[in-house]
Amino acid sequence: MPNIAVWAIFLLPFLSFLIIGLILRPFFNNRPMLSAYTTIIAIAGSLILSIWALIAVNGAENHVLTDVSYQWLSIGDLVINIGITMDSLAAIMVVTVSTISLLVQIYSIGYMKGDGGFARYFAFMSLFTGSMLGLVMANNLLFLFLFWEGVGLCSYLLIGFWFHKPSAARAAMKAFLVTRIGDFGFLVAVIFLYVKTGTFDIGELHELALAGVLGGTTLTLAAIGIFSGAVGKSGQFPLHTWLPDAMEGPTPVSALIHAATMVTAGVYLIARMFPMIASSETAITVVAIIGGFTAIFAASMGLVATDIKRVLAFSTISQLGYMMLGMGAVGMGYASGAIDEHHAMALGVAVAIFHLFTHAFFKALLFLGSGSVSHATGTFDMRKMGGLRKIQPWTYATFLIGSLSLAGIWPLAGFWSKEGILHEANAYAPVLFWLAMITVFMTAFYMFRAVFLTFHGEYRGGEEGSHGHGLHESPKIIIIPLVILAVFAVIAGWLPVGDFLGADVHFSFFGALTSWLAWVSLIFGFAGILLAYAIYGRKLLSAESIGKSLGPIYTLLIRKYFIDELYERIFLMRFLVDGVFVVLGWIDAHIVDGAVNGVAMVTMTGGKVMRRLETGQLQVYGLAIFVGILAIVAFLFMFN
Amino acid sequence: MDLYLLSPEISLLATALAVILLDLFVKEKWILGWVSVTGVIVSAIFALSLWGRVETSFGGALAVDQFSIFFSLLFLGIAALILISSTEYSRKFAAFRAEYYALVLLATTGMMLLASTRELISIFVALELTGISLYVLAGFLKDAKSSEAGLKYLLLGAVASAVLLYGMALVYGLTGTTYLDEIAAAISSQGILGSPALLMGIVLLVAGFGFKIAAVPFQMWVPDVYEGAPTPVTAYLSVASKAAGFAVILRIFYEALGPASLDWGMIFAVLAAITMTIGNIVALTQKNIKRMLAYSSIAQAGYIMIGLAAFTAEASSAIMFFLACYALTNLGAFIAIIAISNKINSDEIADYSGMVRRAPLFALALALCLISLTGIPPTAGFMAKIYIFSAGVNADLLWLVIIAVINSVISAYYYLRVVRVMFLGEPLSEERVHASSGLRIALAITCLGVLLLGIYPWILMKYSEIAAITFLP
Amino acid sequence: MDNFGYIGIFLILSIGFAATMILLPVTLRLLHIVPRKPNPTKYTTYECGMETIGKSQVRFNFRYYYFALLFVIFDIQVVFLYPWAVELSQLKLFGLVAMMVFVLIIMVGFVYAWKKGVLKWK
Repeated sequence: MPNIAVWAIFLLPFLSFLIIGLILRPFFNNRPMLSAYTTIIAIAGSLILSIWALIAVNGAENHVLTDVSYQWLSIGDLVINIGITMDSLAAIMVVTVSTISLLVQIYSIGYMKGDGGFARYFAFMSLFTGSMLGLVMANNLLFLFLFWEGVGLCSYLLIGFWFHKPSAARAAMKAFLVTRIGDFGFLVAVIFLYVKTGTFDIGELHELALAGVLGGTTLTLAAIGIFSGAVGKSGQFPLHTWLPDAMEGPTPVSALIHAATMVTAGVYLIARMFPMIASSETAITVVAIIGGFTAIFAASMGLVATDIKRVLAFSTISQLGYMMLGMGAVGMGYASGAIDEHHAMALGVAVAIFHLFTHAFFKALLFLGSGSVSHATGTFDMRKMGGLRKIQPWTYATFLIGSLSLAGIWPLAGFWSKEGILHEANAYAPVLFWLAMITVFMTAFYMFRAVFLTFHGEYRGGEEGSHGHGLHESPKIIIIPLVILAVFAVIAGWLPVGDFLGADVHFSFFGALTSWLAWVSLIFGFAGILLAYAIYGRKLLSAESIGKSLGPIYTLLIRKYFIDELYERIFLMRFLVDGVFVVLGWIDAHIVDGAVNGVAMVTMTGGKVMRRLETGQLQVYGLAIFVGILAIVAFLFMFN
Repeated sequence: MDLYLLSPEISLLATALAVILLDLFVKEKWILGWVSVTGVIVSAIFALSLWGRVETSFGGALAVDQFSIFFSLLFLGIAALILISSTEYSRKFAAFRAEYYALVLLATTGMMLLASTRELISIFVALELTGISLYVLAGFLKDAKSSEAGLKYLLLGAVASAVLLYGMALVYGLTGTTYLDEIAAAISSQGILGSPALLMGIVLLVAGFGFKIAAVPFQMWVPDVYEGAPTPVTAYLSVASKAAGFAVILRIFYEALGPASLDWGMIFAVLAAITMTIGNIVALTQKNIKRMLAYSSIAQAGYIMIGLAAFTAEASSAIMFFLACYALTNLGAFIAIIAISNKINSDEIADYSGMVRRAPLFALALALCLISLTGIPPTAGFMAKIYIFSAGVNADLLWLVIIAVINSVISAYYYLRVVRVMFLGEPLSEERVHASSGLRIALAITCLGVLLLGIYPWILMKYSEIAAITFLP
Repeated sequence: MDNFGYIGIFLILSIGFAATMILLPVTLRLLHIVPRKPNPTKYTTYECGMETIGKSQVRFNFRYYYFALLFVIFDIQVVFLYPWAVELSQLKLFGLVAMMVFVLIIMVGFVYAWKKGVLKWK
């Protein structure tokens, strides 16, 4: 019975996808709301089962409720199993994913109202959620990879949801291709591991790695391969370029991608594979450095972005970098012998997943809030907003809570999880710790820059809102999810997630304020807020003059370090798209045609026969049958 | 004599007759299609109820075992999908809708009998029932191309039948019986294994069935007939007719020529290599998508023949699995083509440019099926190729598998070229392409099947293994 | 290989005979043993007989074929019915039912032809 319920967690959204795709869309296309209800019921079912699983896992031995495998395929000696596991990590993830997804679906009813692809939207959203839930429950790398690709496919479909918009089609293609580069490394690593160890099972791989059977260069290469998959999915440097462009999809999709599904998959993968990756010192150091660098690198681009969703996108990349840094730091501590194995394995997962958990709530809140703003103004450009505080009080209040939480202000959710990561970074990777500290300042600054530009001052939009009847607060169906998420953005940090994941983290509401580290990070945070207030709230300093005085640096940031141009010119367009087709074209022109021509030239008569055969003369066809029979007979008599 | 063993075929035949009669007396012609589909489902229920029984009837001429039921269900599934996806297309020949449905049902009956008879004359009769129905269907549109297709198919089919009949006559003359098991007994007891006349007879049998499965050099009819025939009929020909050919070859070679068969591996291996190579090379230069798929189906027959060359239980299980995967994939591709071509009135690949913006779901489905035909995971085509290639390797046919892998790489070029045109090309017009719900349902079923078998092949593989064991108790 | 040896000899003989028959007049002509004396009568289609009038391919009304086909079907039916009728007393009920099914199937075809207007001449 527990098994069936656990399988149902991710099969329910798949079922919803099938129902919508096979029954509702073909037959009840005139009643699109049915699709929305189907999706919401299915995901609500997943959520209930997830919460049940969380409670059951808590009571289960070793925090593992189920871990079952079934034979998937056996061809000769190759036997491949599939299976799911429900342990504390999976339980936290399924609860997060299904909660966020459910709220996003409810919000979508309001946001997507009247869109021609309403049913299609909910079908894809179900599939997306189902794939992500399956991903976090898979106990085997091959099975995980399957859902991994499923998530990638859905993100492609949803980012390109408005496929008639060329920019959307392009962004979808970009997301698909860029993540594919990382996935290639992941797939190679999975196959490489199978060749070396003969198993896809994650638990067995961990045992082999921790016992030292799997080690040395093999382990390092495999771990880096797996990390490259995570880099692609989680938008880490240098494969981060797809994420800001992914804003072309509907806003709830962005919220889902950024908060619960898709990008968190990369962090989850590293957490799931943590014992194996942490066993290789080189690999885990790479994780820490990439994470730390991405955190500050993405935050710096967020400082100047003018599109509110892009600010949030850079912020996501930056926060995911934090999570990677958290795991990397603990792993470095483990590698240097500072933490014992048992403690390190739980701690690395705990700091990253705790931040993932709190981040999911406030990031979903911020995205949905920006959607609510755009619902009124019809734009995402912050230069055309302003003064919305009075018109959209609910949106403003919730957005402010989300921003404070993201900036890491005590006692909101973001403070606690960020604190955990900073603490570990300070202990085991001091250089990266100071990078992260500067990032805290930048984060607070760009978030409050967005708050002041959007909600304070005077309205700069000029024309009326998107619906033509003036600016207005969004409908209840949009506000209610915002309020629920805002509550979580406050309290999510107080939940004992770290302890649940097996790490010995002591939570104390006021005790946190006794450490110097908390005070430093709070000072950095408040400094960022104050600077934003000075520039954008009070206009004590002119943003333009600062931009001018910084000159080249400003240009560098606004153009995103020219990395897009670099990839467009050299890598993506030239190499991936053109290159592949140039190679195919070359093969076509030289090898294929050459082969055809060569064959024709060598056997001139044969070539003529071939051409005549294609003219469709029946007699020739009949003749061929008899010539064929004679040839077979001749062949047989020669060899028998 | 247990008539219940024949119930799937009888019920299907009755449905065909009922459809013809209904057409004469009923005004609402749309029900004909659904009556036919219902008949197919009823027949499938009968077939399912027979699963697990291993019996012979009609004096040993009819065998009901897992093998025949596996194929019966495959044919019925194909027929159902073809019927569903023809509901809109059949407007092109509205006056003869009933005949169309009835002929599809009759052809299916013939194929089911082909998979379950074990007596040469019955096999021939079943083959003709299938063949004649298909000749008419190929010429059903009555325009120049379709008539040409029908006539060519008829004349070449007659040649093939004559060749086959001659082969049967030789085998009968040497062994004195037309029952497959008795032929096997006679061959081993009379010691005529190496007899040239027997070899000749078997070559003629191979030629006759080679025509059905479109193996080189008996494949010449394929491109012309596939291009000219109505698209649903082309889809039907390319999967069901081919599967029936393989079913009967497996039956004859395992049951009757078992002792003589090991020497046959080489012939099939060489034919397989030539078939897949010619199919792929010629497909590279095709500009019409139906012609391209015709050559592609020749190449696929080449891959399947690896299983004939290997001649093991694993290989015959692989053949059955491959045929089912291929059926789903190719049907999906053709259904998408029906939907798109119906609206743009063209089968030229160039006219599919930018189709992803005019018909996103159909373009996506077609791309999925083409990816599956190429053999890229996570699709059914990938699993099917893995299975049949590994059967080939286990039977010491590594050289053949290497040729097949090289061929798969070549084939990626022409399959993915269509995907490239659809996804990266500029649309020729902004007009959206819509299609009937029948087509959508059929397409959804095939695409989900392609993905399901690509992700979890074991649900079908275990049945194909059971069915293959029928031959090797 | 005995049997096939005979067939081989037969093949060689038949091909040789045919080749000889074709090559003989040509050779004789080339060696000027046979004279060449053309005259108009030699070039006519039928040296003895009438010139054909009109086209050589005459088109029949296709309705003849309908009737011919229907005739063949019922003819074959009678071919089956005769021996069946003779042995009916031994075949008992099973024979009766089997033949009824057979007749029924043909009846469907007949009704079909009738309803489709095949039996009307115009």
